[in-house]
Amino acid sequence: MTDADASGASIVLDETIHQPTRLRIMTMLVAVPETDRLAYLFIQQTLGLTGGNLTTHLRKLQANGYLDTTREFIGAKPRTWVQATPAGRRAFADYLSNLEQALNWRPPEPSAAG
Amino acid sequence: MASDADRRTLTPEESWSAIHATMEHARSSMYVAGTASILLLWGVIVSVGYLAEYAAGTVWSDFADSRPWLSAPLWGVLVVAGMAGSAVIGQRAGRELAAGEAARGAGLRVFVFWLAVAGAAFLIPAAAGLWVEEHAEAIPRVAIGIVALGHVLFGIMHRPVIAAFGVGIAGAFYVPDRLAGDGALAVSALATLVLVVVAAGWIRRSRVL
Repeated sequence: MTDADASGASIVLDETIHQPTRLRIMTMLVAVPETDRLAYLFIQQTLGLTGGNLTTHLRKLQANGYLDTTREFIGAKPRTWVQATPAGRRAFADYLSNLEQALNWRPPEPSAAG
Repeated sequence: MASDADRRTLTPEESWSAIHATMEHARSSMYVAGTASILLLWGVIVSVGYLAEYAAGTVWSDFADSRPWLSAPLWGVLVVAGMAGSAVIGQRAGRELAAGEAARGAGLRVFVFWLAVAGAAFLIPAAAGLWVEEHAEAIPRVAIGIVALGHVLFGIMHRPVIAAFGVGIAGAFYVPDRLAGDGALAVSALATLVLVVVAAGWIRRSRVL
């Protein structure tokens, strides 16, 4: 998405993040400390997604280097963990910064010429 | 396959709202980890306590009459067992959701909150001078009110269903206490047990927690 800031420069929101489901996934991942990992099932249940839908969006984010997934066994149970990468955290911080600019942007008042 | 929600674009305002709503929901989801099992555990513990009190006043009255202080250690043991069980369930449930500081911090806060509620249920009756033989019957009335209030406050902060459960706990005790006469505690035990089984089953099916 492209918008224009007060100076007329364009504001670009990262298309990978600027999508309803991926935005919520990234929000969950960056809301915890850098060393924390979230369980795949926790993300799925919290966001009310199907497994296929979540996997599709995780792959897209992973392909951009925004998150890592790891699979491990706790006892006999397999568990998939998801963690934001430093690049993902930077991309989200940039997204937030651009989003703030987009929210502050107002179209210029029409001039009262005449 | 992309859903309609996936294909639509977000306005900046919608993005901002989605970020805040997701953070809030994710945080409270950590706080309520394992709640269905913990509610079930406490329902059983409280029901056992009511039944023991009822038995002490009826079938075991000979034994209990010579030990008027019996309620205090009975509830003390039950509450300590409940806190220990809740801590284990909460810790395990938290580990299923997340690994790291956030889950540990959330688990610790929840534990301290309920420790404070349990502590208040003992200390407030003590401060009010109720821990004496002639006022012993008033202690559970105050303690149950404090525990129900704890559920209502926790539910207001995280999930309304927990607040409704708190109202149910209070109702399961106070209504029979007013209306059921000598069998009040037995009715309360049964009502509490039914309440927690129904609530835990509904919570698990609806995945509201």
